[in-house]
Amino acid sequence: MGAPPVISTAGLTKHYGNVHALTDLTVDVGPGVTGLVGANGAGKSTLIKILLGLIEPTGGRAQVLGHDIDAASQEIRRLVGYMPEHDCLPPDVSASDFVVHMARMSGLGHAAARERAADVLRHVGLDEERYRPMGGYSTGMKQRAKLAQALAHDPRLVFLDEPTNGLDPAARNDMLRLVGRIGSEFGIAVLVTSHLLGELEQVSDHVIVLDGGRLLRSSATGDFLRRTGGLLVEVVGTETERDRLGEALAQRGLVCRPRGTMVAIDPPAPELATEGVAHDLIRDVAADLGLGLMRLEPDRGHLEDVFLEGGAHV
Amino acid sequence: MSESTTPGTGRSGVIHDLGYRRYDGPREGTGAIARTLFLTGLRHAYGLERSGKSKVMPFLLLGMSLLPAAIIVGVVVLTGLRSLPVTYAGYTSQTQLLVSLFAAAQAPVLFSRDLRHRSIVLYAARPLSSAAFGFVRWLSMSVALLAFMVIPTLLMFVGALLAGLDKSDQLSDLYKAVVLQVFLAALVAGITGLVSSVSLRRGFAVVGSVMVLIVLTGVVTAVQNIAQSQGSDSVSVGAGLFSPWSLYSGLGNAWDAGTRVPVSVDGAWVPAYVLVLLLVAAGCVLGLVARFRKVGSR
Repeated sequence: MGAPPVISTAGLTKHYGNVHALTDLTVDVGPGVTGLVGANGAGKSTLIKILLGLIEPTGGRAQVLGHDIDAASQEIRRLVGYMPEHDCLPPDVSASDFVVHMARMSGLGHAAARERAADVLRHVGLDEERYRPMGGYSTGMKQRAKLAQALAHDPRLVFLDEPTNGLDPAARNDMLRLVGRIGSEFGIAVLVTSHLLGELEQVSDHVIVLDGGRLLRSSATGDFLRRTGGLLVEVVGTETERDRLGEALAQRGLVCRPRGTMVAIDPPAPELATEGVAHDLIRDVAADLGLGLMRLEPDRGHLEDVFLEGGAHV
Repeated sequence: MSESTTPGTGRSGVIHDLGYRRYDGPREGTGAIARTLFLTGLRHAYGLERSGKSKVMPFLLLGMSLLPAAIIVGVVVLTGLRSLPVTYAGYTSQTQLLVSLFAAAQAPVLFSRDLRHRSIVLYAARPLSSAAFGFVRWLSMSVALLAFMVIPTLLMFVGALLAGLDKSDQLSDLYKAVVLQVFLAALVAGITGLVSSVSLRRGFAVVGSVMVLIVLTGVVTAVQNIAQSQGSDSVSVGAGLFSPWSLYSGLGNAWDAGTRVPVSVDGAWVPAYVLVLLLVAAGCVLGLVARFRKVGSR
């Protein structure tokens, strides 16, 4: 990581009696969008609250934007925005008034707060609705209002806790695109949590995986999606043709299984692993069977695989 | 500022996206943020900057507490009475039902809403800590209550001066009344604030505050009167320690501010009254701060 880390923790631990919310977490977060992934109860929200200075860690240290969480939590809260996971909007206030008020609570003057609120509400996509009481908002609109208040004071870092929670697929995509824009176009570092691994693939530059309060893995998103060494093959035709190819390949010593309309081939055994050998074999088999090759490409990993690997990288 | 939308693309009515603009203007310190929060809370206590409906209750009550004062002023000016029929401190005591209702009705606005809707977490993630938030809320409520009591008091004072009553007498009475009102406001704001921050449903909060301010005061007054008629003066004065309004009246009586009590408060009872009032008020404020700190970290 070239730039200094936005967040840096060392041995961060939070235990509630016997419940170990976070154990010995040492991790750095850089600029751009960082996904924080884990099942419910993996310690994502606990980490955010510790970084905001809302709860004290049992042990360990952490810095946010160069400020120590023990000594300068107020300074941190001045520079950071927070979108909580749960509902937190008063129903009888309009988004416009609310975001203005929240900007003022972050230290902006009256005129600046009004201007920023209007700007930010436009960016999150709340138009005419912004003047209506928030009690009547849909979940998507509420999430946008929550995001707007987190951005109102132009923070240098935002914590977004499950921003896609409760959204339908279209609204989910809109929200993810917005999160991506915040990290790239707005130039605000983002730490975004999700219990859905797939969504963070789309927007994160870097992914941190927590499991049971422990760090499972932290790497660039590209590393998660690296080539597995396996191959994907698709032939012209239906499932019948796919299965014919699969069976033939299996007879030639390749481990394969159907995946959708394609045949997924596990990383080949050493004698076939030399560059191009497996490719040639597949080409010949397809030609022998008289099948038209449509696609032959390397198989890529998914974030889910980290959990399947069972923490082999710790 | 970049022009990311090129004109002439054929789409009309498009708002030109200026792109994200950074803010590098001044940022206020914690003191200024607390002041903003204080003033917002003070306005909200009177329904200002809120819906039209929420202005009805506070202003109706304020109007009702001003009406007798206006009548008194009218009578004094027209008939040329040599003194006000009721002292300033006594007037607040006699309109205690209205003051109590104002406190019970408006405390949930300042102390329940942010906890019930969980917006407290948004405050907690900002420079002002949630503990400071609780304290500033109490300050707003105290000043709102003080204003509620001081406004009729000032109306009567102005009327008394217009009627040509002795200025120094009136000033000394006014001074005593306002000092007593300050203590009472701090105490009542603490009690109603604590009740409202614990019982988050508005109805329960109002009923809880009414229980403490009106029902408890009624019980204490009854006990005081019964004890006095039975000849147990110390029981009567001692019972006065148990409600905010009997504390107020007792101290007003001890200070000769013209509030009525069944048995005069004097001797060692006076510091006891002061001590209880201060301890209860301080206890409520500490309780409030602890409550907000706890909820803010969840």
